[in-house]
Amino acid sequence: MMQTGIFEERQKWKGAILLSAGLHLFVALAIILTVHFRGEQIKTWGSATAGEAMSANLVSAVPLPQPEEPTANIVATENKGQTQSLPAPVTKDEPKAIPIPLNEPKHKPQKTETTQAEVKPPPRPVTPPHDNAVPYGAGGPISGPYGAFQSTNVKGGFNFQGGGDFGNRFGWYVQVVNNKVSNNWYTTEIGAAAGARRAYILFDINPDGSPGNVRVEQTSGVPALDQSAVRAVQRIDTFGPTPSGNKVSVEFWFDYQR
Amino acid sequence: MSVFRLKSVFFLLVFVLPITKAVAQQEWIRTGTNRGAPIRLAVPDFKATAADSQTTSLNTVFNQTLWNDLDNSGIFDMVAKSFYPIQIPGTPVEVKLDAWSNAPVNAAFLAFGNLGVANEKLQVMGWLFDAKNLLSPQVLGKQYQETPTESNARLIAHRFADEIIFRLGGGINGVAESRIYFISSRKGTKEVWAMDYDGAGQQQLTHLNSIALSPRVSPDGSRVAFSAISHDSWQILMYSLDLGRIVSSPRFGGDNFTPAWSSDGSKLAFSSSMRDGDPEIYLTNPDGAAGAKRLTAVKGSDVSPVFNPKTNGQIAWVSGRAGLPQIFIMDADGSNVQQITKEGYAVSPSWSPNGLLLAFSWIRHYGPGAPGGQDIYLMNVATREFVQLTHDSGRNDFPSWSPDGRHIVFQSTRTGSEQIWSMLADGTHQQQITRDGKNSMPNWSYK
Repeated sequence: MMQTGIFEERQKWKGAILLSAGLHLFVALAIILTVHFRGEQIKTWGSATAGEAMSANLVSAVPLPQPEEPTANIVATENKGQTQSLPAPVTKDEPKAIPIPLNEPKHKPQKTETTQAEVKPPPRPVTPPHDNAVPYGAGGPISGPYGAFQSTNVKGGFNFQGGGDFGNRFGWYVQVVNNKVSNNWYTTEIGAAAGARRAYILFDINPDGSPGNVRVEQTSGVPALDQSAVRAVQRIDTFGPTPSGNKVSVEFWFDYQR
Repeated sequence: MSVFRLKSVFFLLVFVLPITKAVAQQEWIRTGTNRGAPIRLAVPDFKATAADSQTTSLNTVFNQTLWNDLDNSGIFDMVAKSFYPIQIPGTPVEVKLDAWSNAPVNAAFLAFGNLGVANEKLQVMGWLFDAKNLLSPQVLGKQYQETPTESNARLIAHRFADEIIFRLGGGINGVAESRIYFISSRKGTKEVWAMDYDGAGQQQLTHLNSIALSPRVSPDGSRVAFSAISHDSWQILMYSLDLGRIVSSPRFGGDNFTPAWSSDGSKLAFSSSMRDGDPEIYLTNPDGAAGAKRLTAVKGSDVSPVFNPKTNGQIAWVSGRAGLPQIFIMDADGSNVQQITKEGYAVSPSWSPNGLLLAFSWIRHYGPGAPGGQDIYLMNVATREFVQLTHDSGRNDFPSWSPDGRHIVFQSTRTGSEQIWSMLADGTHQQQITRDGKNSMPNWSYK
């Protein structure tokens, strides 16, 4: 009697273990298959050579979150909202210059992958391209000569590969921003009290080149220094249209030494 | 590898997916202050694609103009041509960036290209490369086509220079295509003349055979207002650059001097003695239909008004109400009068395009035996801090800002006669741009 009871209990254990093992196997298989079929996209993600893992860190390291997508109340705000505004009528000027295509014929447009078509950026006001603009080369280098800044650009979905690496592709623009802000920083506005200090300022550069959304990221401890840094950016009307045509966020530090 | 992939997938699913939406389309620049280093630019001569004499002469003109435009812009440290490698590129495939970015050139940017006459057309291709960016160096690439004349070679050079200045100068248009209007008496009487910003292409506009003074070009570049003796009194006259002749302009009693455009072209401020013989500042519109509105009413001459071009809400002018002429500021309706200079003899205000600075001519210590001469000064309108731009060099007067706010053109007697000079707004790079006869009262166009 007793033995049959124990035997029956053992039978129950075995079934549960088998079921559990089967399920584990199924999950493992599912993961392996997923990796196998989707592995193309994530092949080198996080590997040391790509350096793109830093990009993810950078974004999460920004303490101030971007303001939420504004509700597109066009009446109440100056924001153009998410509506598509019509491009300005293109006047037919006699072309002052004809663009020289940068790419050799071998860089002809490749077949578009279906995954890229799924995620679209929100519609933004259409600025007609300059009639004499030259297309830039596709893709950017991972490591560049400008060590003082880092950047990341995520293109649709979670594709961390390729994309644009703003600072490296458009190093000249970073230099322009740097020169312009530096030249508009009037250190005479800072009183004698400040020693060697550093203030961090965040601002955005709109696609047309105008700065906006200027705020102090990390105070230097000297309000006059923070103020002068904010004013340096506010004093600027334009940096020139961004070469990528997108909004660019800038973290700028102001080193003050007496 | 598979373990790595597993981890990656797990990490991706759990941590990354929720934040990808937030960071999509986000581009970042992180940088800091780095003062006092102008951009080092190398500009090798453009390669001639043909060997005929026409191409050679046009190429010489083009290369000189391009170099001067970039050198005059004030934002570049031009690398002397003697440092350049022997192999000069004419097309992107010929560029070896190492040779340009390393010593002795040490250029940050490289502008190069080629030029040739083919099928009765002057063809120019120009590129700007970031010498420190080996992987995607191209900043700019342009192709131009015009009829092969010397002036077109200069025009293309101006345009290509302005494209480079626009990119690397932070979105501010260059002044290479701008014009300067001035008074010259080289043909006997004082007439209005015009020239390119670098002194090329000088041409006479008016033939009044009287005396013309203080030309002021309209913001849209279509007309020049100036004062001249007309019949028996001084009147504000208008010369249409489109029609090439004098057109009708508002006329008032008394003597009228020193017109000034608001930067939107809708208003004209001027000095007139129409009421009581005492010159006062009046406001009208360019066709005179609104009549003249009086802005000042204090004894003593009031002349040389100039609008704050940024806001058009303020007017600076010269007033003799305090004895010697001094610079004053008022709101554009005549209220809120403030005295800017408190000593000496200050005349000829010119307001900078960004509205922050006033340039003017000042004899700080006036009187017999007083030290110093008449020099160009800048004053910060808000803080009243000033800086002297010219030193020990004749009488300097009539400053006028360039549209990009980086240059000032002025009149100087340092060579013995009145000539027009230009300089960067920090007082450096002073150069003479007129040499024939006597030339004075320059006014830089708005674009």
